Amino acid sequence: MKRDAPEVEGYTTLPLQLPTLPIFPKPATHYLYIRPHEPRIPDPDSSRSLFIVNTPIDTTETHIAHLFGKQLAAGRVSSVQFEDVPAKKTNVAPVTENNLSHRSKKRKRITADDLQSQLDEITLPSTWDRQLQKSGAHAIVVFADRASMEASLKAAAKAARKGTTIVWGEGISTDRVPALGVQRYLSHERRRYPARRELLTAVNDFMTVFAQVSEARKREESRKNAEPDEDGFVTVTHGPKLNSVAREDEMKELIAKEKKKAEGLEDFYRFQSREKRKERQQELLKKFDEDKRKLADIKMRKGKIRPE
Amino acid sequence: MSAHAVKRRRLSPSPANSNSLTQSKASDATPLSSKEETPKTTQSVARKDDPLTKSHPGRRGNEDGSAELAMASGFYKSSFFKLQMDELLTGLRPNYEKQISKLQDTLHKLKDTIENLPDKESKSVAEAEKELRTVSEIVIPWPEPRPAKDAKYTMAYAKPANINVVGSVVLKTGAKTTDSRPVDLAVTMPSSIFQEKDYVNYRYFHKRAYYIACLAAGIQKPMDALGLDIKFGFQDGDSLRPLILLEPRSTSKSDPTPQPQIRILTAVEPTLFPITRTLPIRSNVRQGSKDQSEAGEPTPYYNASLRSEAAVSLYHKYLHSTAQKCESFRDACVLGRTWLQQRGFHTSFQNGGFGGFEWAALVSLLFEGGGPSGQPILLRSYSSYQIFKATMQFLAGRDLTTPLLLFASDVAVPDGGPVLYDGRRGLNLLYKMTVWSYAALRHESSITLKMLNESREDNFDRVFIVKVDEPALRFDRLISFPKAFNGDTLRAVREQNTLYTTLSKALGDRVKLISLASHSAESWSIRAKALTKKASHSLSVGLLLDADNVNRVVDHGPAAEEKEEAASFRDFWGNKSELRRFKDGSILESLVWSDQPSEGSIVLQILTYILQRHFQITEDDFSFTGDEYDEMLLDEGDGILAYSSPPFQSIKEAFSDLERSIGNMEEVPLTIRHLAPASPLLRYTALRVQAPGGAQEPADIVLQFESSSRWPDDFAAIQMTKAAFLLKIGDSLESSGAASSCRVGLENESSKVLNNLYLDIAHTSGFLFRLRIHHDREQTLLERQLKDKGINPREREEIAYALFTYKRLFVQAPRLTQAFRSLCTRLPLLSPTVRLVKHWFNSHLFSARICDELIELLTVRAFTQPYPWDCPSSVMTGFLRTLHFLSRWDWQQEPFIVDLSGDLTPQMTETIRTRFTAWRNIDPAMNTVALFVASDIDTDGVTWTQYEMPSKVVAGRISTLAKAAVSLLRKESHNLDVTDLFQTSLAPYDFVINLRPKFSGDRSAAVSKYKNLVDGASNQPSALAIVKSFVHDVEACYGQSVLLFHGDERCGVIAGLWNPQTLKPRNWNLKTAYSTAPVGSTESTGRVSINQLAILNEIARLGEGLIDTVDTGDLKA
Repeated sequence: MKRDAPEVEGYTTLPLQLPTLPIFPKPATHYLYIRPHEPRIPDPDSSRSLFIVNTPIDTTETHIAHLFGKQLAAGRVSSVQFEDVPAKKTNVAPVTENNLSHRSKKRKRITADDLQSQLDEITLPSTWDRQLQKSGAHAIVVFADRASMEASLKAAAKAARKGTTIVWGEGISTDRVPALGVQRYLSHERRRYPARRELLTAVNDFMTVFAQVSEARKREESRKNAEPDEDGFVTVTHGPKLNSVAREDEMKELIAKEKKKAEGLEDFYRFQSREKRKERQQELLKKFDEDKRKLADIKMRKGKIRPE
Repeated sequence: MSAHAVKRRRLSPSPANSNSLTQSKASDATPLSSKEETPKTTQSVARKDDPLTKSHPGRRGNEDGSAELAMASGFYKSSFFKLQMDELLTGLRPNYEKQISKLQDTLHKLKDTIENLPDKESKSVAEAEKELRTVSEIVIPWPEPRPAKDAKYTMAYAKPANINVVGSVVLKTGAKTTDSRPVDLAVTMPSSIFQEKDYVNYRYFHKRAYYIACLAAGIQKPMDALGLDIKFGFQDGDSLRPLILLEPRSTSKSDPTPQPQIRILTAVEPTLFPITRTLPIRSNVRQGSKDQSEAGEPTPYYNASLRSEAAVSLYHKYLHSTAQKCESFRDACVLGRTWLQQRGFHTSFQNGGFGGFEWAALVSLLFEGGGPSGQPILLRSYSSYQIFKATMQFLAGRDLTTPLLLFASDVAVPDGGPVLYDGRRGLNLLYKMTVWSYAALRHESSITLKMLNESREDNFDRVFIVKVDEPALRFDRLISFPKAFNGDTLRAVREQNTLYTTLSKALGDRVKLISLASHSAESWSIRAKALTKKASHSLSVGLLLDADNVNRVVDHGPAAEEKEEAASFRDFWGNKSELRRFKDGSILESLVWSDQPSEGSIVLQILTYILQRHFQITEDDFSFTGDEYDEMLLDEGDGILAYSSPPFQSIKEAFSDLERSIGNMEEVPLTIRHLAPASPLLRYTALRVQAPGGAQEPADIVLQFESSSRWPDDFAAIQMTKAAFLLKIGDSLESSGAASSCRVGLENESSKVLNNLYLDIAHTSGFLFRLRIHHDREQTLLERQLKDKGINPREREEIAYALFTYKRLFVQAPRLTQAFRSLCTRLPLLSPTVRLVKHWFNSHLFSARICDELIELLTVRAFTQPYPWDCPSSVMTGFLRTLHFLSRWDWQQEPFIVDLSGDLTPQMTETIRTRFTAWRNIDPAMNTVALFVASDIDTDGVTWTQYEMPSKVVAGRISTLAKAAVSLLRKESHNLDVTDLFQTSLAPYDFVINLRPKFSGDRSAAVSKYKNLVDGASNQPSALAIVKSFVHDVEACYGQSVLLFHGDERCGVIAGLWNPQTLKPRNWNLKTAYSTAPVGSTESTGRVSINQLAILNEIARLGEGLIDTVDTGDLKA
């Protein structure tokens, strides 16, 4: 049975009719490639997930849920993970910039890392009401349970085999998904300028948490410094520490100064100027050979040198 | 004391010392080195101290042919020039043996035939004419005026005294160029047929014409048998001197190397007429016809024409002996010929009157004199290059309108043209040159001299290879008179002189140079009458404008009290002249011209008026080229022409105002270091300033605070801090009343490391500014991250991109703006030219594919490195030369280097070249960098071109279009329709998206429809912004499969190309980054192909409301 369904490289191919428009009346069919999700390192969700390739660029979670839930009437979609969108809130601790503090998060209830993840949540408002997918992109569709997933795959194969017409996104009420086209761009132009209050809140929240994070980090750092190391010593530091970037700038300046000092002493001895002259001669010799090569090259490319 | 001196010597081995050391080495190789500088001006002496210029010792060292010597002498700046020159010379030296051997038999036969022609009794004019007509059907090519029927003198033919091959073929001074290289056969007429007084009143020329006709009659049959066509033509376009042309019959066209033409010209014994009779000041045409000049007036052209007949063999011998004496003379002649030809100078009077022969003779003469106190300018030991350069120096430096007499003194000359009188042969070598052609020659030679002296570039291409003589590239305005001027040489000289005098008087200091060029008469059949009588020839005039004066509205004439001057002024200008009182109290005759665009340019107004008044030539009788470019810019660029026009000035003022307001802000905790403009609008290079309908393009500005250690070290935190600052600045500006409204906007939202925020300031003046905060710590942070080995490639790419964007946005854009602001003020035509070039790129739908700054840099080169021309003084030349440059630029192999501030050092050039080579090594397929464009303020060279701006395909298309434009220009020349250059061709594209009218051009509809969505006029989203967002989206989604092209806001289409690599079916792959469909519907082949219809459908849905129709070309449903 399953063999008969159109397949490519083990993927079930599901044709989708794209909605036609007055400005582009030609009917167009889009092909979705579907297979069970089998990642190299399985996670708890992978057994109830489908891996779909070649999502239309306007795909949203609503579209996918609608496709499997209503149009194929097979299974309930619980979530969709798109390509290029980093998975949020996974079990792995959020990666932080400063790895030093990893070890010392035992007793404290609110660690710097917790604060950091809180900080990451505070972002500037988005300027698009609907994100686009890249053409040919893939997505992972997580279903409510394994049965839903299997039923969906079967339904898709069946639809493909029978040639059932499924129109992409047909039947989704317009208020559930923001419109494409000029409306989307107008709303983008509007959303590019967030309200002053909204922006100010974001900034203030961020700054507050950011200050807390720095504070927490500093505390952790100083505590760590206060602990004796393997040999039982405590490193004593003094004064406010410059941050590393400012240090780097300072170093650069210092190097520049040194360089300046070294200048002007090159012509001091006679041997220096003699060596310099020799060097120059060598250089010229090299350049002459280069010129010869260049000319040969030009001749090869353009043919003979002739007036236009 | 002496100890001190010793010490000092040790301490300072100056560069001059080491230089003289190498110089003396060079002079060991070839003596006479010390003398060589003496004839030169101080300029060349000064150059001697600079080892980097192409100095003479190095040149000579190279010339001995041994590269080793050149190496030892250590002058390498020139070595590449020398290598190229050697190549050029080898390519241009004709193969004389082959040529001679081909012609030998013909020439011998010809000589025998002529020698065996029977003598003819002397007979009257009428008889002679009749006899030739009846017996041989030949019409005697009489010069104008033809002899009277009752003329007292008689015509005769006698065996020639001598027949010789003369000219460049025998002297081996010719060059293989596009011109035909005829072999000249000089037939010396016997003195017996002339009388003592034959030098007056055309008598010599009449006898000569009869002689030529007799020769033609005699050789007619034998030559016909040899397969040669026999025709009459003019020697050097001079209608006094017809000659015989023998051309291989056209059937042999398929022959790749056709036999050269043979010209039979006449000569006389040098002693036939005494030199004193043909001195330039003598009058030898005493009783001419009515339109002749009055008796007694000098007839220099006539005299010289006569004298040159007598000097044929003398010059031949003279040149021959020079060639014997100086080895490099022949090569120098080849170089000279090439140089002249590239600049449109030829021997004939109509084309400048200075060709290969004049060059060779001039060089020969300069071996014997010409210096300020009579000493020779050239030395025999000179190399061909040295001869060339010294001759250039002579032409540019010595003004020959003050006559230069060689081997003679006290030779009076009439005023006017240049004089280089060769006393030994009694000829003014430059007799065919006119005031204007001489001015043009000097203009060209001084430019060439500058090129040769420039140490920065080798300029070889521009001296010898580039075809300089392209009227529209060379001159700012072109006038052509289709049928107005006579073909008769003497009359043409006079008429053109009058025209020139009138034009130069009328245009005054509005023009720097006026150049007239016409065509010499074609050859004609010996059985027909010469074409001189009635035929007239089109005349083209080129004007080189003086940009400072050309648009002056009021011309001041002489004061009313100066009666005589005022009268002649009124006489010249007629009713146009008005008496006016000026502010300073003076009462002057003056002319007032209209500066309304509808009236045409002032130059055109003057021409129309003057030509009508003095020559009765109406507006319809001449064509005028050059104004169309300005008009096009006025049409397309909101009616703005100059950088000083009000819109540009008011936005500049608004910026200064804003700068002050921002400097006075008190609420912002950090002090301001700098507010820098970074937008085309603020550097006079935006095509349009005020967008119609109120929606406005914001002008980018960059704000930098004094550095503070309190900035955070985290990218997100930096952006948040920026947001806080922007909000604060906005509040402050609003409360101080400097801005009517301020809004913080978001950009690059998907990236944490790029700049995320800006402030849109609606200034009270109505202009919109977009302010971004420049925080230099960001660069350090990014660079540090880039050094971090731990990050993954994708992050690294993002960081590299962020660093690139940072440098471009905050460092290079303000720097470029600064440079262009000063350049545009210094070079008034830069701004309009850049804007027209932008329009060209827009019309060819490149605006999404290449950035504004790149266009600006490509254009400015025509101004800062204008060679082989001068700095453009009109929009036309600036624009066309930019296209010309683009058409010649081999961007795959050469970097583009432009000098913006004049500070480009050879070291910088070296650095840039190294960078370029490095880029080509890293990225040989040119996937990220196709064009490499560097300047003295940006030696990186990829600031404006990295990340496929433009991609290789687009760069190739730019080249193709520029080439097409230049070849159209060459073909059409005067008749070029400017709009053709700006015609958008949609043929090469795979699909075309037509936009709805409200998103192209007509903005008013959009405004009315979406009024409810926005609160203020300045907050109106511009249609262009929406179209840009759309194009950006499509590109983000289909980056690998689709390439989009669109123009500016007036352009109603977006055109697209499929990536040809995606069009082939391929195996299914997870990484295929475009929409696919399985190949073969039933069987599972495992292969897929691009699903174009689905993609277009998606694009259409994405742009619904924007798009009117989608034209899919021949795509099947």
